[in-house]
Amino acid sequence: MRLSISLTLLALALFVVSLLVGPAELSSGDSVAGLFAGGGEAAAIIMREIRLPRAILGLAIGISLGLSGAVLQGFLRNPLAEPGVIGVSSMAALGAVLVFYSGLAGSSLYALPAGALFGALLAVLILLAIAARQGSTLTLILAGVALSSLAGALTSLVLNLSPNPFASYEIIFWLLGSLKDRSMEFVAIALPLMAVGWFLISLSARAIDALSLGEEAASSLGIHMGRARFMIVAGVALSVGAATAVSGTIGFIGLVVPHLIRPLTNRMPSSLLLPAGLGGAALLLAADIAARIVLPAGELNVGVLTALIGAPFFLWLVVRARREML
Amino acid sequence: MLKRRKRLPCLSGLVLLAGALLVAPVLAMPKRVMSLNLCTDQLAMTLAEPGQLVSVSFLAREPSLSMLHEKAQGYPVNHGLAEEVFLENPDLVVTGTYSLHNTTALLKRLGFHVEEFSFAQTLETIPGEIRRMGALIGQEKKAETIANDFDSELKAIAARQCGKHPTMIAYDQNGIASGRGTLADSVMQAAGFVNLAAEMGIVGVAPFPLEQVIAAQPDVINMSTPQTAPTLGEYVPRHPAIAALPQTRVGAFVPEGSLSCGTPLVIKAVRALAALRSTMAPCPESAAP
Repeated sequence: MRLSISLTLLALALFVVSLLVGPAELSSGDSVAGLFAGGGEAAAIIMREIRLPRAILGLAIGISLGLSGAVLQGFLRNPLAEPGVIGVSSMAALGAVLVFYSGLAGSSLYALPAGALFGALLAVLILLAIAARQGSTLTLILAGVALSSLAGALTSLVLNLSPNPFASYEIIFWLLGSLKDRSMEFVAIALPLMAVGWFLISLSARAIDALSLGEEAASSLGIHMGRARFMIVAGVALSVGAATAVSGTIGFIGLVVPHLIRPLTNRMPSSLLLPAGLGGAALLLAADIAARIVLPAGELNVGVLTALIGAPFFLWLVVRARREML
Repeated sequence: MLKRRKRLPCLSGLVLLAGALLVAPVLAMPKRVMSLNLCTDQLAMTLAEPGQLVSVSFLAREPSLSMLHEKAQGYPVNHGLAEEVFLENPDLVVTGTYSLHNTTALLKRLGFHVEEFSFAQTLETIPGEIRRMGALIGQEKKAETIANDFDSELKAIAARQCGKHPTMIAYDQNGIASGRGTLADSVMQAAGFVNLAAEMGIVGVAPFPLEQVIAAQPDVINMSTPQTAPTLGEYVPRHPAIAALPQTRVGAFVPEGSLSCGTPLVIKAVRALAALRSTMAPCPESAAP
């Protein structure tokens, strides 16, 4: 409990810092006044329409990725499972790109989460089918690698084939992720879906605890496996799908955060869920702040920063996992 | 008889000479011209006589880029490939210096007459480009008229401006602004606006943070006409933050495609912005010309 409180405070502090960082050099006094005072002044517009949606999305997407990573690691009993690594994020991005850029839904923003949810759901179902047949850690990761490279290639292809010549510039956004210039419209289409996803994942808490004793033991404890699987599949698809629909693929948050936080918990998978979500929010907000400070004019894609932190960590986990196997 | 005989070669010599004088410009005029670049397309379609231009680039039919996209439907299109030029075997190839370096070099090596246009991104150089194209394809008179009209219309527009210069930012896909040294900058100045992006140190077409656009509070934000195929980048100039600026006029104020090339057609963009300016800063009755 103490862990969750301190992580909440950390995430909230980073949320506030995120509101204070940006290319328009507002003093912190102006920023606070802009956020709460009325009127159409520049400071108020910048705070409410540009920085607030960005900070909200950083918080919510961080929670989605951290929570999904924690639940997938517990459910699949695989320390390397994570929405980015196993290809759920890339498939969500592909789904969003297919529906949005084809113009099937006009230029409506609702096309983004619709396509992304479908892509994420498809990815989770494929991976579960593979993981159910053969439980090895490696099989799942290799399937994820295949899925993400295919989805990444198809995403680039679809954007290249768009009749709008500007679409191909957006390959970088979909592959590396960014929270730049998102508006409240994006919060409105993504946040409710993510919240439903969080709720479904939280319902599976007892099931993943029981699963740590093995599937048979879980069934004997009265856990309905089909129901638990549905909660997790739908929860991950909703939260990662909606997150990716508005931010592109942001990798490694769901991998790094549960591993960093697990030693601080009682090691029950369920007690990791809430702290992992809060930790994910803190990490994504911090990375997004850094993306704006490192390159103030051009701005880095936040996925680059999470990969810089996450990829070495992933390698270290792989090396450690091999050593334990030997 | 003798006299006649003597006069005949003399006469025929005169006829030949006169014929040569008449024929000379006609011979120099290339009969088959091929254009490989969107901007040379616009100049060539404006100046060439029927049948003289054998093909234009495929981009000439793109409504978002080409002011003459309807006229371009009447010409065959090429894709800037050396093979296409080789098969067509034109007397003159016109293209831009910024595109198709390899094609241009190859065509020159194959002995084609290739003329490149650099299209400096300002209004001042446009009459020169018009006259150059006119001279190349033997349409000097037409070119001279168009160049002079262009110059005099720019002067007339400048003379009609009064009052304070309103400020403007040309803001586009993905939060890109047109700064110093762009055609849009030159058009804004000619229409009597201050380009805030250029004032704030943006050079060329470069990323301009949305927050700074809001902080600058320009009088006008000009964006391009939306395309039929959607992109996320299009949502940036249409961000609710821009719509929330109380004093700013936001919209696509210049005709679609009018800023893509430094050709006489860019005058339509100047005209449109000048009309906008006259509604924002109207001249007092007495000062009106």
